[in-house]
Amino acid sequence: MIEQIRNQARQLLENGEVDVVIGYAEGSDPTRTTPVFVRKPEDVDRLIYDARCINSLPLYLNKRHEYTKKGWKKTGIIGKGCDIRAITQLIAENQLRRDEVYILGVPCEGVVSHFEKWDGSLHDGNRASKCTDCDVMIPLDTDFFPGEKPEVDRSGPYKVTSPKVANLMGMENDQRFAFWRDDFDRCFKCYACREVCPHCSCNVCITDETTPSWIDPAAHKKGVFSWHLTRAMHLVGRCTGCGECTRACPMDIQVDLFNQRMKEIVQENYGYKSGYSLEEKHPLITYKVDDREDFIK
Amino acid sequence: MRTATIQKSDLGKAIDLLVQADLRVIAPRLQPRLEEDGPDAIDVLTLVEVKSGENHQVGEGLLPLNGVKEFLFAKHEPLFAYEKRGKKIDIIPVHHEYPRTVIVGVRPCDAASIASLNAVFSDANAGFEDPFFTRRRERTTIVTYSCTAPDASCFCTSVDLAPDSSRGSDLHFTEIGGDLIHVEVLTEAGEAIANLLESLLEGEGDQQQREKAGAAVKEKLTRIRDAAPIKDWLDNLDNFDDEMWERLGEKCIGCGSCTFLCPTCHCFDIVDENKGSKGYRVKFWDSCQFDHFTLHASGHNPRDWQYKRYRNRFNCKFKIYPEKFEQQGCVGCGRCIRGCPVNLDITEYMAEVAAKAAG
Repeated sequence: MIEQIRNQARQLLENGEVDVVIGYAEGSDPTRTTPVFVRKPEDVDRLIYDARCINSLPLYLNKRHEYTKKGWKKTGIIGKGCDIRAITQLIAENQLRRDEVYILGVPCEGVVSHFEKWDGSLHDGNRASKCTDCDVMIPLDTDFFPGEKPEVDRSGPYKVTSPKVANLMGMENDQRFAFWRDDFDRCFKCYACREVCPHCSCNVCITDETTPSWIDPAAHKKGVFSWHLTRAMHLVGRCTGCGECTRACPMDIQVDLFNQRMKEIVQENYGYKSGYSLEEKHPLITYKVDDREDFIK
Repeated sequence: MRTATIQKSDLGKAIDLLVQADLRVIAPRLQPRLEEDGPDAIDVLTLVEVKSGENHQVGEGLLPLNGVKEFLFAKHEPLFAYEKRGKKIDIIPVHHEYPRTVIVGVRPCDAASIASLNAVFSDANAGFEDPFFTRRRERTTIVTYSCTAPDASCFCTSVDLAPDSSRGSDLHFTEIGGDLIHVEVLTEAGEAIANLLESLLEGEGDQQQREKAGAAVKEKLTRIRDAAPIKDWLDNLDNFDDEMWERLGEKCIGCGSCTFLCPTCHCFDIVDENKGSKGYRVKFWDSCQFDHFTLHASGHNPRDWQYKRYRNRFNCKFKIYPEKFEQQGCVGCGRCIRGCPVNLDITEYMAEVAAKAAG
């Protein structure tokens, strides 16, 4: 499979169809992989794909990132199904044009949740929760796919993937608050959760604004809670569930539990799943005349 | 100073004795992943205050996620309160507690980092002292514990340390086989702690056995780099624009994890947290990896690309720190490697520089 991807990447670079192919390469130790920008056809052999390819590479397509200023006209990108959903969402939000990107899709069998858990194979003990019941292991929107794409039923509703969400929702408010208070105690506000997110698109993040300062920048309880709750709210209906915020958190706080619950709420109320359609707008930036709330009519 | 031994199974009792002596005891504690947390959760080892010796992981696990840094240089700290009355502003002091603290089970890399922080926060040359840091430092005793199982990201031996170094330590523990721990009393503060533990200490430690145990662990380190040529190479300003910086650094996403996890990174910001006519002036951790860290009011940003920000971080560790503070900027703990979401690896830079320096 990877040979077909490499050949296609080589051709794209040789023909000048893309300026760069963003993919995965071997990392600095055997359990890790790393994002790589391949610019020369002779370097395509660095590209790999296996269950250690966790990173959601579409973050490099987000216009907030400096890489998009490098003057690339068209970017080739290797994506597993969930990453391609992130690309679709970026396009649906006008953060990217479909003709700016060439998507090399890979058939995915799931990835590990953390590099630390890689022991040579993928199994129930180390598979990321997002890979359970995933309906885009055969990706949706691709320009190249190695082999035939079988038909997949993707009509099912969004379901939360981590059992922790149900566990938290079953708690009393004060218990749930205590859980987050204790976990957030570790947060030092490095903003890794923001920087890895393919959908954090603001040129100036609300937490970096100083006049006025909406969110206290210090990592005390108020600063931490207001940051994480705001982050979760800003991703409602937009998060595609790559889980990178949780994986990237250096203090191992499961911040994507908020996003999972939000997706469930959006599904329940609007029947919307992010990242499946280029045209359909997410519910919080549009309205429908048959909205169930009266105030909008 | 003296040596002794202690049984590993008595460490819980040791913590109890320290707690009973009215010390604030900080020790590593594991928050294990539960089945209900789902497959995305992992075990979390952190340094936390413990109230008894019942639940601690001194000598277990490798490195707590947080280092000793946050117990000396607080994540956030109110400097003073203020209140505006017409044109007048009242400055109101804020009360700070500086309890006598002992941090038990500190790994040698973290202990070595304290001298690096100290050089910044009590800079004798500049005649400047950060009283918050120095008062905490004075009232904190460090009990180190030699590593037994370094992982693939550890590289302390590349920066002039070792898994059994006692630099920055007051009282140093090294496992020497079986249930036995070799104890070295290194400072007066360490002696005070040893006296509290007297009922658990026995005889004299075998220094030879301790050296042997340390050397055996050193053998397990696999990530070995030559840091010696780095400073000279960085001193050559032509290399400031070397192609390496962008090639290795272009994948960096500027998340700042490395700086917040780093035991020697110490940058901070100060803001006024205002509410109506009063508020607090607060000091809190900042990071050179943020794009607005060097953003000027004019809109100009001298570090306008992420790779330049990482270049600054590398220079800070291997050039600025030794030059300005005569201390090491990197202690080889490997947290920045473990924590990086895109596998940007400081030791790759070290290897590349060594290769370039060798021509």
